[in-house]
Amino acid sequence: MPLLELRDLSVRYRNRGVEAVRGVNLTLDAGETLGLAGESGCGKSTLAMSVLRLLPPNADISGEILLDGEDVTTMKWGRLRAVRWTSAAIVFQGAMHALNPVQRVRDQIAEPIELHSKTEYSASALRKRVHELLAQVELPAEKGDSYPHELSGGQKQRVMIAMALACEPRLVIADEPTTALDVIVQAQVLALMSDLVAEKDIGLVMISHDLAVLASTCERLAVMYQGSLVEEGLSAEVITNPQHTHTQTLAAAFPTVGDPGSRYAPATSTTLPDAVPAPGDELLRTSDLHVTFRTRGVTHAVAGVDLSVRRGEIVALVGQSGSGKTTLARTILGLQEPTSGQVTYDGKPVPRSTRGLKAYRRQVQLVLQDPTSALNPRHSVYESIAEGLRIHKVPGDEREHVAAALDAAELRPPQEFMPLLPHQLSGGQRQRVVIAGALALEPKLLVADEPVASLDASVRGEILALLLRLRANLGLAALVITHDLGLAWNIADRVAVMYQGELVEVGPVDEVLNDPKHDYTRSLLAALPTTQPKETDLASG
Amino acid sequence: MSDILTPTEEALAEAPPPTRGGGALRYVLTKIGGGLVSFALVIVLGFLLFRALPGDVVATMFRGRPATPEMIANLKHQYGLDLPLWQQFVNYVGDLLRGDLGDSYVYRVPVWQKIEERFWPTVLLVGVSTLISVALGLWMGTRSGWRRGSRFDRISTGVALALWSTPTFWLGMLLLAATTGLFPTAGIVYSDTPPDFFSQALDIAHHMVLPTITMVAVTYAQYQLVMRSSLIEEMGADYLTTARAKGLRDDEVRRKHAVPNALLPTVTLVFLHLGFVIAGAISVETVFSWPGLGRLTYDALRVGDLPLLQGTFVVLAGAVIVMNVFADLLYRVLDPRVRAA
Repeated sequence: MPLLELRDLSVRYRNRGVEAVRGVNLTLDAGETLGLAGESGCGKSTLAMSVLRLLPPNADISGEILLDGEDVTTMKWGRLRAVRWTSAAIVFQGAMHALNPVQRVRDQIAEPIELHSKTEYSASALRKRVHELLAQVELPAEKGDSYPHELSGGQKQRVMIAMALACEPRLVIADEPTTALDVIVQAQVLALMSDLVAEKDIGLVMISHDLAVLASTCERLAVMYQGSLVEEGLSAEVITNPQHTHTQTLAAAFPTVGDPGSRYAPATSTTLPDAVPAPGDELLRTSDLHVTFRTRGVTHAVAGVDLSVRRGEIVALVGQSGSGKTTLARTILGLQEPTSGQVTYDGKPVPRSTRGLKAYRRQVQLVLQDPTSALNPRHSVYESIAEGLRIHKVPGDEREHVAAALDAAELRPPQEFMPLLPHQLSGGQRQRVVIAGALALEPKLLVADEPVASLDASVRGEILALLLRLRANLGLAALVITHDLGLAWNIADRVAVMYQGELVEVGPVDEVLNDPKHDYTRSLLAALPTTQPKETDLASG
Repeated sequence: MSDILTPTEEALAEAPPPTRGGGALRYVLTKIGGGLVSFALVIVLGFLLFRALPGDVVATMFRGRPATPEMIANLKHQYGLDLPLWQQFVNYVGDLLRGDLGDSYVYRVPVWQKIEERFWPTVLLVGVSTLISVALGLWMGTRSGWRRGSRFDRISTGVALALWSTPTFWLGMLLLAATTGLFPTAGIVYSDTPPDFFSQALDIAHHMVLPTITMVAVTYAQYQLVMRSSLIEEMGADYLTTARAKGLRDDEVRRKHAVPNALLPTVTLVFLHLGFVIAGAISVETVFSWPGLGRLTYDALRVGDLPLLQGTFVVLAGAVIVMNVFADLLYRVLDPRVRAA
């Protein structure tokens, strides 16, 4: 008998009228691992939630969900509550808000144990059990006393895993377990999950938008598109020889670092610039930049950084969270005062006065990670773009400027987009609006903070291609902050690797990523999820 | 989530786990210091405010009786009102620092004594009605927020809003008219009640019924509405899905996870309002002739009793500030995230 069997499962949300999941059939045996891939809105999370009947009341389920042979859809509430967490548990995206912010994580891990245990647990036995669980996810026992906000993203994810294992379920569903984590932490969490699942013979369904992540952890892959299952098979086969066009798009979205075919060629259906223009003279330089924080001890967030960006050059600044790359970007933008050292722009030191900074920021524009929160939901596209023009009192016809910016960001025809509100746009279009807002001021340099991290895989290539074209057509330079080495490989000329506040390696992308000199760069590369078995000497190096 | 716009995120990620309570003393001292600064401003403001009141205070004291200019000048001199304004202020602050609020023009007794005598009836009335209205508001707010759009939600929110917008004095008089004879209409205790504790307590309780109902009716809506909206905000939170997935019953999810989080903004509101409620008791105390601070302020304002007005102003404003500081400190205890910040 399979551990989990979905028979012709469909889910419809009454208020939306469309079927989020359409006639899905899936089986999973004990000890098996299955990856479920798809973009946002494809129904993969709805599918996961339906297994424990956690969908909102306005969702209608049809078909059967057999968990250990018992149909979840017809269970009585009491039985359903008993099954939850004991037969199947869910690892939510812990880095977000899946943990109660005002409870110690110890109590949150203990909660399902107390709830489901047949025998009364004594306080000390419960404590011991929580420590065991924390040890399994390689967290020290004293972390149990922490509140969620005191833990890093990776630690929170480990807590989520410990919590899921608390009642020794036979099935674990992991919903985007590593999405908000950077590569090294992601690799650690994935390895931990694979080990625990294998060791305890647990069935695992892992959901992600990232095929590479799934392929590196799961035996089988299933791809969802608009509510239906479009492809299913062994991971290696699906990823090397995708049959459905949507799977092909997903597989192509994340390049293999080192593959010459994807150098300066993000996955896109649009035309890319023919030649890579040679960068001009130096536009921005930081010299011996230091930023030190003195809250709670001394933290050298930026410890002596020399970085330059030339006209028309795309530089990728890579590093883990906590490496200081965000602080460096803030300092470059004049949002953070340097402790010592300076930033020069166009040969002159960046001013510190409000007025001087305003003029400087017209030249250096920021593109944020999440376009949904970067745009005011009540401002039309026109308003969002015109705002910068008004602040900087740009002469000339406002409407013409806005139209030109929208055209440059390839939102054509511009007139059609102007009156729209952000919620009427897709994720990729929203990011284009953010870029258009920056372009309206005709900057020389874009500072982009993870510009594609919150976008769907199929849109990612389009935005990266846009950046390449902007550079070719407008001579725009860009400093792209990212933890995604594939992004650097796709578009950047040079890469600067940041580790503990210092640049440990700077150089042309081909050199640094093909032949890394520094150990840290090597470990970043080794942490990339791959479909091939990893070379162990790299991982240990 | 982008952290490029918020400083020191990276410092957080790399920093060792915060030692709890390390900055606690500093936090407490900062908050108390802030409270003292506000209080100093209140004293200055109070002084100037009552000097700017229309009408000559000394003239009002004669209440229309004929007075010669010498008599007025004499009285002005007696109260130090003929001194330059800055001199008056220095004297006032000096007296205040010694704990002397001056003598009431009308009652001819120290202001402190008058305030002290009226303080406890107000605390009793405000305390009891706040307890009831907070309990009622939180319970109704939780119930209506958890089942948003239900019949209970629609009716109770409507009723709460209607009562909230009712003028206090009007509701008080309506209650008096509707219950003629059932409850005493004025004061805190009958003069002929036996002096033993039990009889006194019973009589005070009897007197308190109508003022308390009036105060609860007009104040509980704010607690209900804030609790309702902050619970609705928490309803979509992912950790509630986690709790449900663990197999908790619906009411356990609400009690153990949703309500403790939703309570946080409500607690602040309760304490912020406690200060105002004392001042807000003015109309209730006036309608029911309750011998409290509100009534005292009202009387002092009517006859232009300057020292008494200044005194009640300082006490009432002080109450708001103390409650504010207390709310800040309590919030830190309740929300671990504030402790870290």
